[in-house]
Amino acid sequence: MKRLFKYSLIVCLGLSMAACTDLEEDLVGDITEDIVVEGINIGGPGSSDGALTALYGELRNAGTANHGGYYSIQEITTDEMFIGAKGGDWFDGGDLIRLHQHTYTPNHPFVNGTWVQTYNAIATANDNLGSGNLSDAEVAQARAVRAYFYWRLLDSYGRVKLVTETNQDPPQASRQEVFNFVESELLAALGISEVSESMDLSNSQLADGGSAYSMNRYGAVGILAKLYLNAEVYTGTPMYDKAEIAASYIIDSGQYVLCGEGCSVPNLGKRPRVDSDPAELEGYAAVFAANNEGNPEHIFSVRYDEATGAGMNFSQMNLHYSSQFTWNFQEQPWNGYATLEEFYNSYEDGDARKENNFIVGPQLDFSGSALLDYAADDDDIQLNYTPAINELAPNSIREAGARPSKFSYKQFGRSNMDNDFPIVRLGEVYLIRAEAVARQAGNWTAAEADVNVLRARAGVSEYNGNLTEEEFLAERGREMFQETARRTDLIRFGKYNGEWWEKPASEPYLNIFPIPQEQINAGGGLTQNPGY
Amino acid sequence: MKLNINSMTRGVLLVLALLLCNFTFAQRTITGTVTDAETGEPLIGANILVVGSSTGTITDFDGAYSLNVSENAKELEFSYTGYSSQRVEIGSQTKIDVTLSAGQQLEEVVVVGYGSQKEKEITSAVTSVSAEDFNQGPITDPSQLLQGKVAGLQVYNRGGDPNGQSVIRLRGISTVGANTEPLVVVDGIIGASLDNVDPNDIENVTVLKDGSAAAIYGSRGSSGVILVTTRSGSQSKGVEFSYNGQTAASTAFNSVPVMSPDEFVAAGGTDLGSQTDWIDEVTRVGISNVHSLSASGGSGNTTYRVSGNYRNVDGILKNSGFEQFNGRVNLSTKAFNEKVSIDFNSSFTNRNSDFGFNEALRYGVLYNPTAPVLGANAPFPFASEQYGGFFETLGLFDSFNPVSIIEQNRNQGQRTEVTYGARVGYDITPNLEIAGRVANQKTTVANEEYYPTTSLFRGNATSPTRKGLAEFYDEITSFQLFEGYLTYVADVGSRSNLRVTGGYSYQQNNFESKFLSLGDFPDNTLDFGNLIQTSQDLQNAGFIQANSAASPDEKIIAFFARANMTIDDAIFLNASVRREGSTKLGADNRWGIFPALGVGVDVNRYLDINNVDLLKVRVGYGVTGALPGPNGLSQPIRQVVNGDDGSVSTELVRAANPDLKWEEKGELNLGVEFTMGRFNATLDLYDRNIQDFILERTVDVAVFGTDRRFENAGLLTTQGAELTLGYDVVRKDNMIWNTGLILSTYKTTLEEYVVPEEQRANLGAPGQNGTNMVVIREGQEIGQIWGPVFEGVGEDGSPILQDINGDGQVIGDQGNALNPDADFTTLGNGIPDLEFGWTNQLSFGDWSVNAFFRGALGHSLVNTFRAFYEPRISSQTSYNFVNTELAEPGLTSAQFSSLYVEEADFFKLDNLTISRRFSFEKGSAIRGLTVSLTGQNLFVLTNYTGTDPEPALVDYGSAGNGDAVDFSNPDVLSPGIDRRYTYFASRTFTLGVNLNF
Repeated sequence: MKRLFKYSLIVCLGLSMAACTDLEEDLVGDITEDIVVEGINIGGPGSSDGALTALYGELRNAGTANHGGYYSIQEITTDEMFIGAKGGDWFDGGDLIRLHQHTYTPNHPFVNGTWVQTYNAIATANDNLGSGNLSDAEVAQARAVRAYFYWRLLDSYGRVKLVTETNQDPPQASRQEVFNFVESELLAALGISEVSESMDLSNSQLADGGSAYSMNRYGAVGILAKLYLNAEVYTGTPMYDKAEIAASYIIDSGQYVLCGEGCSVPNLGKRPRVDSDPAELEGYAAVFAANNEGNPEHIFSVRYDEATGAGMNFSQMNLHYSSQFTWNFQEQPWNGYATLEEFYNSYEDGDARKENNFIVGPQLDFSGSALLDYAADDDDIQLNYTPAINELAPNSIREAGARPSKFSYKQFGRSNMDNDFPIVRLGEVYLIRAEAVARQAGNWTAAEADVNVLRARAGVSEYNGNLTEEEFLAERGREMFQETARRTDLIRFGKYNGEWWEKPASEPYLNIFPIPQEQINAGGGLTQNPGY
Repeated sequence: MKLNINSMTRGVLLVLALLLCNFTFAQRTITGTVTDAETGEPLIGANILVVGSSTGTITDFDGAYSLNVSENAKELEFSYTGYSSQRVEIGSQTKIDVTLSAGQQLEEVVVVGYGSQKEKEITSAVTSVSAEDFNQGPITDPSQLLQGKVAGLQVYNRGGDPNGQSVIRLRGISTVGANTEPLVVVDGIIGASLDNVDPNDIENVTVLKDGSAAAIYGSRGSSGVILVTTRSGSQSKGVEFSYNGQTAASTAFNSVPVMSPDEFVAAGGTDLGSQTDWIDEVTRVGISNVHSLSASGGSGNTTYRVSGNYRNVDGILKNSGFEQFNGRVNLSTKAFNEKVSIDFNSSFTNRNSDFGFNEALRYGVLYNPTAPVLGANAPFPFASEQYGGFFETLGLFDSFNPVSIIEQNRNQGQRTEVTYGARVGYDITPNLEIAGRVANQKTTVANEEYYPTTSLFRGNATSPTRKGLAEFYDEITSFQLFEGYLTYVADVGSRSNLRVTGGYSYQQNNFESKFLSLGDFPDNTLDFGNLIQTSQDLQNAGFIQANSAASPDEKIIAFFARANMTIDDAIFLNASVRREGSTKLGADNRWGIFPALGVGVDVNRYLDINNVDLLKVRVGYGVTGALPGPNGLSQPIRQVVNGDDGSVSTELVRAANPDLKWEEKGELNLGVEFTMGRFNATLDLYDRNIQDFILERTVDVAVFGTDRRFENAGLLTTQGAELTLGYDVVRKDNMIWNTGLILSTYKTTLEEYVVPEEQRANLGAPGQNGTNMVVIREGQEIGQIWGPVFEGVGEDGSPILQDINGDGQVIGDQGNALNPDADFTTLGNGIPDLEFGWTNQLSFGDWSVNAFFRGALGHSLVNTFRAFYEPRISSQTSYNFVNTELAEPGLTSAQFSSLYVEEADFFKLDNLTISRRFSFEKGSAIRGLTVSLTGQNLFVLTNYTGTDPEPALVDYGSAGNGDAVDFSNPDVLSPGIDRRYTYFASRTFTLGVNLNF
């Protein structure tokens, strides 16, 4: 036998010595190392630069404005939006009903999807931070963006692993530890030890304003404000004073203004032959329009672009199949998300936000003719979005429910929308300060000054000593609809476990999502949240 | 009736004969015929050898021979595979007619890896099928030749799409994350493409079923090995030509029962005023033609065979089918006193496919039966021009006019394949041969799809701007193979022998592909499919999709050795070992060792039981491996992220696994072979253990940065039994009837997995995402369909599901399937309990009848057409309703349950061939003519209401709203799902002619 091997070897040697047993794998069709293209637009303070392109892109990848992840579990678990099962359509194994009725379990695919997307984003931050190629300013941005993603995990799951380096495997941290980490990372990026009246951000490596596409000082302060506003929920210790200081810092800086009268953009959704479509979108509507880039109210935003920044799919998620012909969409919509009737009715007529945030009533096509649906459930074949909804399941009417349109649709839109999605915007900062002030004062009328700024812009009457806790929550809902704030708000106001349409009262343990079973199964030593 | 001779037998005998070579002097000619002693049938290709010399010949199609012998020749030996050989003294005779008796079937020689063995000496589970036993009719894929012929080999092309690939499984799945299809070796070329072999050129197929047989192929042997031997030339009188022609007609055998227009309207369907049978509109009688012409012959030490094969197959779906040309040259010669032997094989295939659109069948089923084909016939004003004149149900999810799909769009491909190989052997001594083999294969694929601006289906005709779509995909795969090995035959007495083989093997595979997709074409006045310069996408950012991929130089390097030993002509020992390395694995785990050992004993030689001709017991154990599919799994893979400002960065998309190693399968096989007169039986029992199987699993995303990584994880075991029975029922002068039955059964258990339980096989859109129908669990059988049990229809039209655990509440939505309180149970298994094939060969005079029945028992299928479209959903009244006998008319909401899981046991007359042989006078230009008529799928007995009850061994996932199906990534753990894109089964009648001249 040995001789045979020897013979074989001789034959083999005759060919080529090295090639004989060389099994090195040289990949030519894959990228195995980081690529840094230098010298391209690494410009002035605040502009997005090459090194962090992937990290800012993760804001889009992390389910911020599409179906199946973060957006879905923040929205359809609330009294704001639902997805009805329409015969067989959108039943999806009961997953959507489970979110609405708070019967989600550790096996819920969206709960897992959110987890995976968020950690993918954190991994990109860790990868960038570990590369050693970042400037001090980039390090500060990457840490602050990572802290924002950890805030999402803190808010949704509570107890998670605080991974700060690639291939690191720390134990699962407590919710308090995650809170502390988010706070300290943001403070570090801001170059301060705590948020106080006298804080001086001049040592911060973050830019003093500039593009909302990069994390600047005000973006980081704004995320801290959200963190402090919910501190009592997260840790049991209220920190409304700090929330107020942070919010005031942004408002008082004068860097940002509320987009009100005169703040307008061309209406890209206008149908030329439909006179009721305005030529311009002004005020509140302009903040969320398809051409809202650089809106003065945006402090930190996710850049979406139909060609180069995919990930916002609201037109498909929200609209009926036939609505394709209203906007000449390039792809057929899916007829999924709609608004609960009660929530829609919480807006008074004449509220500019009601006008902008919903599509209701008989629909017209591109040319102004009636939009027909030959598969309509009723005899009237014109598509007519009714605020009233017959049932959640099993036979929710296809055209039932006001359709979300805060991020308004543009003509000839692609499946990926153009609208930027604000993570921190001045409107919300007013609401944070209003609430923080009211909670410290123990008196909701103390919130009226800031709330009335938004009321005025919406064209509705101002509060005058009549603002209550319940009314504040409703007002916050009207302003922040579709911005993934509702679940956090309902929990903070103790309403998340209450009853609403087609949703019975639920247990408090549901305020924190379960750790996804798939992640526990992956063997990293994660343990389940209590109650599941 | 033996019409064919095993070429290897012939080859080996010739070589033996030639080795004894000494040249002759004065000559005389002896003629005669060789016939079967019982039937009187001529034996074609029988060997005649002058004893003690290398002079010999074989008989022609009439069993006749003519042989020049020297004056001092004394004896002739007549031999024929499966028959006892006979010696006849020549004396002064010039005409010697001989009759040979069948009986000694043990001398058949079977091809095994790197050589061949007498059948008797084999100690592993090996089945050899010769051309005469192949399935008849127009074959689109050579694996179909073997369907139902080999116990333990599953070959299923569900629905029979002419461009579809069969799923081939040997003894069930052998891996989860790696390749599950058997290794194909054509004329010694490892990994040669079966697509580059025309069925008419195949002489014999040998299937190495167990680990001890396959271990010589190391890492590629785990899923079994199929060894194909193509026909070669023979030394005969001059050139022989053979023509094979077939004309076939296929029709849809079965359809999905849907409502007629009247029933549909009565059931509340939206009436659009017309009456259209959509399935009828998109199907046709498919006509196929096959022509094969070969020339073979030989002279001196050289033999050759050249063949050309043409196949033109039309599918039953309009505009689907292919046209294929294949050419093959096989050449063998000997030189330098016959010490050097050279064998050369080459083949070329060019196939132009019309893949067509299987979606037309799917939408044909669900399209509104009252909708008109043309927009002009719409009951309301309809912009026909915008849709190429066709009607479309706009505003409806997942609904496309099926006639428009097939009439307006194009989905074509061209595949060109060249394979060649040469083996050169040199006899260093009479006992020692050194051999080298070089082989090369290159496959080029160019696919093209075009959807004009007026096509709603993928052509985006509704859009006012971006209409039309063209897609191009090019792929080149190639390999180079070099092998060198030595074979030593030791002289250890007349009743014993020892043969040792050892060598080196080097194979390099390469792959590259390019993809381009773009749209926004000008108006539909021209076919812009190849005028990509007209695409307006070239002016707009973000629309064009383009991609490329290229493999590294993927290498497999091996050293191997084997010893075969026979003692006392009754005890057989086989041992082999292969040490093999691959570039695909982690640096520290690149090399693996794959040993095998087998022992067989001809027990009857010692027991000498009356009337028993053979009683052989054998046992073999072998280790084989499997490699992951993709390259680069041991390295981290990143992807580029572009910013809006021109900046570029990368992010991790797949975590590295530097420890990745071979998947390992150990298999024990016990076999018993028994022959007694006209009866023979073979029983094989096996137990296989697959550990460290390679699969992409969820890993801790927090740690690895991505949640998927390839790892070695898990343990899979399979136990099975295979029984082959044969009996010559009638053996008379004017009539012969042989019958054979093969039976196989196996059970695969997932002993260890990455998670205790997991759900798979999502039903999909519309509305049934999050609806996984299959569960796998540690310690349980794979293939369980898992769901709630349907009990009836509730008042609101939703299904009433059974409270299985009796806790008073019903949890039956599929998203809760793994909830401990869920009312779920096993609704069926996708893998059959028992599969069988039953052959019958009947001949009387010049007529013969071949009837082949096939069946499978114990498997279920999820009928997804029913799951989506059978409930009378009020919002789906613009789709047609599926309407089988199992329909529940009151049900108005779709939710997966036992209602849609059907037992799919079947028994079918797979193939019935009637043929007549015409005799011609000696010396006539025509040597033989056979005319045959074949019917396929003549009847099927089944309760399954779908189009095809054949098992669905893999799942390709759901495809919604006009999306294409990804056939590249089959899920082997989710058998039993009959998806909506299955091609419809067909029934085919074939007229065949075989002419030899």
